[in-house]
Amino acid sequence: MKIKEWLSRLPLWLYGCMLLPLLAFGLSKQVVSYFSFSDIPRIWTDEAMKDWELPNSNPEYSAQPVSEEFYYNLPERVIYKTYPVYHPDHEPEGYWEWLHELEAEIVLDESKLLTEEDYIKAGELLFDYPIDTLGAVISTKHVRNIDFYTATEMPLTPEGIMPFAQWVVAGKGKVYLGNLSCAMCHTRVMDDGSLLKGAQGNWPGDKAFAFALETDGASERAIQNITSFLFASPFAEGDPHGKLLATGKEAILEAYRAVPEGAFGRQGTSILFPPQAPNLIGVKDRKYLDHGGLGQHRNIEDMMRYISMNQALDFLNFYGDYNPIGLTKERLNSGEPIFFPGTYDRHSDAQLYALAKYIYSLSPPENPNKPSELSESGKIIFAEQGCVTCHTPPLFTNNKLTPTDGFEVPDAHYDKYDIFGISVGTDPGYTMKTRRGTGYYKVPSLLGLWYRGPFLHDASLANLEDLFDPARLKDDYVPTAFKPHDVKTKAVKGHEFGMELNEMDKKALIAYLLTL
Amino acid sequence: MDIGYLDIVVAPWGSLRKCCVRRENFNYLSGKIDFRSRLLILTLIFFLIVPFLLSAQSFKPENPIQFKIKNAGITVDGLISDWEVMVDFDPKKLTQSSIRGKANPESIQTGIKLRDKHLHGREYFHIEKFPFISLESKSFRSKGKNAFIGIFELQIRGVKRELEIPFTLSQTGKQQMFKGEFTIDRLDYGLGEKSLVLSDEVRVVVEF
Repeated sequence: MKIKEWLSRLPLWLYGCMLLPLLAFGLSKQVVSYFSFSDIPRIWTDEAMKDWELPNSNPEYSAQPVSEEFYYNLPERVIYKTYPVYHPDHEPEGYWEWLHELEAEIVLDESKLLTEEDYIKAGELLFDYPIDTLGAVISTKHVRNIDFYTATEMPLTPEGIMPFAQWVVAGKGKVYLGNLSCAMCHTRVMDDGSLLKGAQGNWPGDKAFAFALETDGASERAIQNITSFLFASPFAEGDPHGKLLATGKEAILEAYRAVPEGAFGRQGTSILFPPQAPNLIGVKDRKYLDHGGLGQHRNIEDMMRYISMNQALDFLNFYGDYNPIGLTKERLNSGEPIFFPGTYDRHSDAQLYALAKYIYSLSPPENPNKPSELSESGKIIFAEQGCVTCHTPPLFTNNKLTPTDGFEVPDAHYDKYDIFGISVGTDPGYTMKTRRGTGYYKVPSLLGLWYRGPFLHDASLANLEDLFDPARLKDDYVPTAFKPHDVKTKAVKGHEFGMELNEMDKKALIAYLLTL
Repeated sequence: MDIGYLDIVVAPWGSLRKCCVRRENFNYLSGKIDFRSRLLILTLIFFLIVPFLLSAQSFKPENPIQFKIKNAGITVDGLISDWEVMVDFDPKKLTQSSIRGKANPESIQTGIKLRDKHLHGREYFHIEKFPFISLESKSFRSKGKNAFIGIFELQIRGVKRELEIPFTLSQTGKQQMFKGEFTIDRLDYGLGEKSLVLSDEVRVVVEF
């Protein structure tokens, strides 16, 4: 009785104070960390898709994506458990047979995703998950052939795992090689054999594809067709891909083989102007996606759109009246499924959300290059040489788009996009002559240079030293990484900064760059 | 590069010259202007121009305009070498004195050619639309022996702002040497945007 009386005499504010720990540790945690499905944005709306991407450098041929109705009528992907692919000499005994005894196991249940951590974990699963089992790039017989690894100089982990593809078990005895995961292009086998997820990958994809086409005995016509699906841009001035197709089977295969690891001719780009595989670590802070800045990145919805579009749905785009896989608009919208890798199903919005959350969570490994006296003097050179104007700390990019030579910036773009109004003179091919070309290149971030390479948007230089070598500007230069298949030498022009520095200053500058 | 300072600054002469050209055309087409009219026009032009030429002559100073701006903690030195100034300055008649200058931002040099090119672009000087920077005195006051403060109107990218510029004058015979220093906020004139590394303040030194 006495206690009750005593309690009733306590002032009201004291009761209020008793609630504070709850607010701090209980309620707030629930509010911050838990999601509901209503939080997941619907990303593919007709309204949002209208101006999310930048126009093509030839605006009449800007991409027209599939409609919201078409998109959401595609079935959602079921995510099965996947298993690593070993080099045949490293495969554990009985592994292949064991895989064939397994039942399919569905590993992602969206209804169980509640916290941010749940989404990130699911996102990692999805990052590694192949969206194709039809053999879009390579198939079972290739990865079980020892010659495949030699011909492509395939990077492997110390366990002998080839981390760019996975085995998908879709049922007992149904073991398929899975292609086209995010991990395929964005995983790097480091020098010590460790895997760095999200980094500029070192998957020798085009060499692998050339091996597959060659060993499968693909006909010239078949090789021309698939190459056309992937890269044709007949509306581009000079139609360089049309010319490549006309050169015949051997030349096309050579073009594939010429693309080095660290670059990849994904659909809509080019093996004539191959894009460097982008580093996803730190992508959260970048305002444009793709080397040409094709996709705006204003929020997580934009990242989700980019993932969905880039995994293969851009095969269904129309560029003017042109569709890369030969569809007509009537056929596209007939309601009949289109059996082309990656286009007959889609990730759910929740899956895309998880993927984006995972990609945003990627962080760089510890940099072994610690600041030194040399790198500190390089830091001063970095500022003196004006590098900071474009590669502005702390992101080491100003997040802007630079027009390439030959592209005149439309006035309206200055208000709509982040334009840095001069060209640095690098090769205009990618952004002027491909389906993804916008007329711009985005200013790349220099973060993580120490674990990346080759460099420049077309992966033409293997080392940072090459970037500051004036010899690269001459026509008799042999590019140290990507060199087009049909030339012996080629000048690597543009970005002519720091070339007049003395050797010591160059060393210092590079030492600094490697600390970023 | 000749920026045609006189054509622009000495407006009465400029407009009359245009008028004259138009009238000559007229003469060519119709033949209605006689010798007396021509003489009258030429005489008028002469008397209009001469006082200007005598009182204030435009000249190109030897020293470029210098500026300094901090970029990532490093001071970047820049020059604008193509400029002209017109001076009519008498320390004893400050109210009647004037100083006018015009500079061509295309001649900017910062030591990195591509940076200079960027400065020409629409994010900075936008030289296609705004080919000149101008500075025009509004009033002067003395601040001690050979030291003055001028109120000037500085126009960059079409933005006009008044600013106070302290300057010194050293005079040897008829030879006058001026030196002034001032600071502007580049963002006031739409020169670039707010930056994490590039300072807003630009220190300018003018000597002629």
